[in-house]
Amino acid sequence: MYTSTKKPQEGTFLWLAKIIAGLVIVIILGIHFWVNHLVAPGGLLSYSDVLAYYQNPIVPIMEVFFLIFVVAHALLGLRSILLDLNPGKKLLSWINIGFILIGIIAITYGTWLVFFVVAKGSGA
Amino acid sequence: MKNEPNSINLLRWFDPRNRKLGTWAFILNRITALGLTLYLFMHLIVLGTLARGPEAYDNFIKLAKTPIILIGETLVIAAGIIHGLNGIRIALNSFGIGTRYQQQIFIGLMVVAAGCIAIFVKSMFFGH
Repeated sequence: MYTSTKKPQEGTFLWLAKIIAGLVIVIILGIHFWVNHLVAPGGLLSYSDVLAYYQNPIVPIMEVFFLIFVVAHALLGLRSILLDLNPGKKLLSWINIGFILIGIIAITYGTWLVFFVVAKGSGA
Repeated sequence: MKNEPNSINLLRWFDPRNRKLGTWAFILNRITALGLTLYLFMHLIVLGTLARGPEAYDNFIKLAKTPIILIGETLVIAAGIIHGLNGIRIALNSFGIGTRYQQQIFIGLMVVAAGCIAIFVKSMFFGH
């Protein structure tokens, strides 16, 4: 049956990071789904609901951690899938550079958006 | 039980013919992973409407509540629940926990996933 094993080009640290990030995501994603699809009236938060929700100081911290873990898990997972296609050394180094850039851009943009919403909600 | 062999044939990963339960778990994990990764980046881009003000965001929410988008959202939630619960089994097994009972654990977790998905479907389509 399918289990996750470290691949030669993956390295123990990245393999472990992918698994631990996955377990953290399960918890935060549960809260994320619950708030956005079960608690919110009508199923999704309106603009004013989002601003009010982000005034709880735990929420932006949780969302930024969620963003970091989910982007890292997604890119490490995608890299792991690509490793199954046996890419050459040169191609893999381009994949690594591309994924690091995508990760940095996604996390920077997402973090900016979180703090933008917090500032809007506080009237700053 | 051993890992599924790595494949250089991409399409073989998604071929469900003559597969055992373990391969179904593998296929489910891969398909949901690819779908969720695509959704993650689309989600980040779409949430950019928050920066464009209440009108832009609330118009997007109005669109998100249309049946077609709701069906898409339900698929994303289903994929998240299946990937997350199957992922717990994979993580435990990777550390040597519950490897003897992984088939039973997989079936049990997928039953839990079906129950969770049903709750979300009921809430999203038929109200609380």
